[in-house]
Amino acid sequence: MKTINFAIDLGTTNSLIANYNDGNIKIYNNPLGLKQTLPSCVAFRGSRTVIGDKALDYLEKDAENVCMLFKRKMGTQETYFIPSKEVEVSPMELSSYILKELKNFVTDETVLDTVVITIPASFDTIQSNATKKAGYLAGFKEVVLLQEPIAACLAYANTSNLDISTSQRWIVYDFGGGTFDVALVEVNDRELKVMDNEGDNFLGGADFDNLIVEKILVPYIEEKCNVDNLWKDIKAKSSNYKGLYFELLKKAEEAKKELSIYEEAEIELDIDVNGNNLFEHIVINREGFEEVIASKVEQTIAFIKKVISQNQLVNSQIERIVLIGGSTYVPLIRKRIKEETGIFVDSSIDPTSAVVEGAAYYAGSKPTAIIKEETEEREVPVGADDNAIDSSLFYEQNTRDMEELITCRVTSDTVVNYRVLRVDGGYDSGIKDIVDAAFSEFVPLLKGKLNRFKIQLLDNGQNVLKTIGSIAINQGSYNVLGQPLPLDICMEIDDMDSSTTRLEKIFAKGSILPLKKKIYKTASKTILQDSKANLIINIIEGKSNGLPSSGLSIGFIEIFGKDLEEDLIKGTDIEIELEITESRDLKINVYLQSCDQEFQNVFSKSERSISINKINMEINSILAEVEDLIKRNNDEENFEYSNRLELIRVGLIEIQIEATLLVDDDVSDQKYQLDDKKRKLIQEFDALTRNKAIANEIEEYAASKSHMEYLINREENERYLPKYTKIINNEKEVINSGNKYLIRSKIKELDLLYNDIIQSSDENFISYFLGLKFSNEYSNQKKADKLIKQGDDAVDKQDYKSLRHIVYALYALLPDYEREKQKRFKDDSKTGLS
Amino acid sequence: MLEIINQVFAIESKSKKENLSLFNRNIDRIYHECDGLGYHIINPLGKAYKNEMTDVEANIVGEIDENMEIVKVLKPIVYKEEGGMTRLIQKGIVIVE
Repeated sequence: MKTINFAIDLGTTNSLIANYNDGNIKIYNNPLGLKQTLPSCVAFRGSRTVIGDKALDYLEKDAENVCMLFKRKMGTQETYFIPSKEVEVSPMELSSYILKELKNFVTDETVLDTVVITIPASFDTIQSNATKKAGYLAGFKEVVLLQEPIAACLAYANTSNLDISTSQRWIVYDFGGGTFDVALVEVNDRELKVMDNEGDNFLGGADFDNLIVEKILVPYIEEKCNVDNLWKDIKAKSSNYKGLYFELLKKAEEAKKELSIYEEAEIELDIDVNGNNLFEHIVINREGFEEVIASKVEQTIAFIKKVISQNQLVNSQIERIVLIGGSTYVPLIRKRIKEETGIFVDSSIDPTSAVVEGAAYYAGSKPTAIIKEETEEREVPVGADDNAIDSSLFYEQNTRDMEELITCRVTSDTVVNYRVLRVDGGYDSGIKDIVDAAFSEFVPLLKGKLNRFKIQLLDNGQNVLKTIGSIAINQGSYNVLGQPLPLDICMEIDDMDSSTTRLEKIFAKGSILPLKKKIYKTASKTILQDSKANLIINIIEGKSNGLPSSGLSIGFIEIFGKDLEEDLIKGTDIEIELEITESRDLKINVYLQSCDQEFQNVFSKSERSISINKINMEINSILAEVEDLIKRNNDEENFEYSNRLELIRVGLIEIQIEATLLVDDDVSDQKYQLDDKKRKLIQEFDALTRNKAIANEIEEYAASKSHMEYLINREENERYLPKYTKIINNEKEVINSGNKYLIRSKIKELDLLYNDIIQSSDENFISYFLGLKFSNEYSNQKKADKLIKQGDDAVDKQDYKSLRHIVYALYALLPDYEREKQKRFKDDSKTGLS
Repeated sequence: MLEIINQVFAIESKSKKENLSLFNRNIDRIYHECDGLGYHIINPLGKAYKNEMTDVEANIVGEIDENMEIVKVLKPIVYKEEGGMTRLIQKGIVIVE
């Protein structure tokens, strides 16, 4: 048996949609509003129709074209005249707009034919039928109505698992944002029935916000600023206090919410009154708040009493009062109802979503009247003629502009409206008319992001006939008019692990000029004032996975101890801002946190800075590596390979000789030529060796991974599985990147997790111990022998806790490889950046 | 996290109002770290306002026309990037004139 499953709370001020699925209720989020509620408001602006939050924008300014609270007029002859469109719109039609918009919230169902819609207990037959018709107008094939207090009771009964054996009377107290209702409900083991109801359509939580502004904030401001009539003035259309009323209302609303939880709320005022700035903190305590809203709360209690007395009942005959509606979060309401009636006050259900939740429970149990075959036939009603609607789109897929034009041509007689939405929720064109079978829309873009859009094509009943969801516009990445970078722009930084330096990508190849980025690094050494140590900022154009010396240095700043106003301390932040203009000027701005000092340099092609020292230094570091490789390959009789390396070696030495003949301030272009030659040779070396280095890293990665897998598959280590999965999640990308540093960082992550797992149990130290037993690198072999003996005893006795300590002690006797590594990393060869 | 972003934004707004440049670097750094965590923070101050912008909650002062501008920002717009998708997680609260 198929059930309805979908439910809509078509509220006076806000509406919601929910789904029942196998005992669970899902309330859908507004894709544009970050919340579950949709304001029941429709605005008409020329050929544009706006629904929900953005329609409220026009409420104060263009009220005659904005329709809200139309639920109160359902079933009446009354219509709304819309001057901007010169048409009359009925409350039923307006409700159908809201219902269609709610349908848009549902993205996980293809067919949404049947629905339960809630109505107030006070609705008569005509009003009820009008609601039903609105549902059909919105495209539903079956509409079942349910009274709101019943829905609330259902939500309550279903979540609190009550066992009701005798007939009971409950009161549902519904205090929303703009309306108030109270209903008397009879509940027994079989059914729920509304006996009576009362209410006030102009009483709601918004009144509390206004009261905070009027009675607390305005008098305070008047006193501090010595002004009169402020309350009247801030609300006046021609007021001097532009925006102040809204700002105060917003703050009052936040304070109200806080006061529902805390005893005190603080409002910070930072406003301009008559040209003077007022900066004050106002603390509102709950008592003060309750004092100003007391009269409104008493009004609602009077309605409870009325509904009880007019049904010839006494308070003791009421089992409980169920609170719903957002305003019931206010503690005073709960307190006063209890004091005044003595009835049990139940606020255990979510007051905002209780109605839709209860209606969804109902929908989940209500069989649909639409027979299966019929439903199947209409399996694709929304956008059924997708293929029959021919549309072609024109837009720039890549742009540097912050706004882009989407043009669409549609050939269909039924499509008369369109709507463009940005998928991240930041833009909605509203529903607009299509003129001459085409439309164009300027859409705003998020900077540097892939902006996805969807276009809905609608018929004259605002039903979506086709959705085009494949529009993606890339902001900032490419433009035919812009100049893309031919190579990566990188910065040289220290690589402690391999005692050398490496490149870090700042701007990727293909990025469009101009470019600007701020990066944060840490000083990897201390540079004392007036010392000879230096900090090097070397900006390189080249392949980011290549060797630093294989790229072209396009900006080079050396900061010496003598340049510093204070010592540069290791570990402090270095802020580097890089900017490349369209004409390829490179601006570097370096800020040293520990010295509070800034260095600026602008490099252009004509004044490229090349240091002879730097050339020499780079050649030296590569030469050692080249010579080592030649020796190893000769040993392995790999002569062809070593011959190619030998040519590189000779070339590098020749450059070095030529360089020594030059002075650093040589004005000819010889040093540029040398630098160029050097780069070419190093690039050649890089190409010869890189694949090998990467292959080694990949091999090491595979080894680390297989060690890990052995451990992770053991039952006791199951809890580490999510961490492990996270690490290996993007291994394909990393391995295919051809970047050995990326692969290295993955290996490090695996090793860290491996250590974590090992250290989680004393028993794991056995394998560590066995490995250490055969080491001969101990600084004190005698001491090590003694520890090893103790370790053997501990293994025999299965005393793994002691074994752990013995392993630590043995480790301490081994050479400190990290320190050694740092020592090997000569001070003058590093950049000072890590 | 959103509350932290809002507080930093408030500190930045107050510093600007008082012409205090003392904290600029620190604030920039915090935004940079937020960016690294996938939070894209936008201060729409001075931008032209259009009703189509669903990433702001606007309180409009004066008449509605084509030349409306955001004159005060009480809360910034925040987008979050997750799994290659960007989504709005906080609407900016603004005053428009």
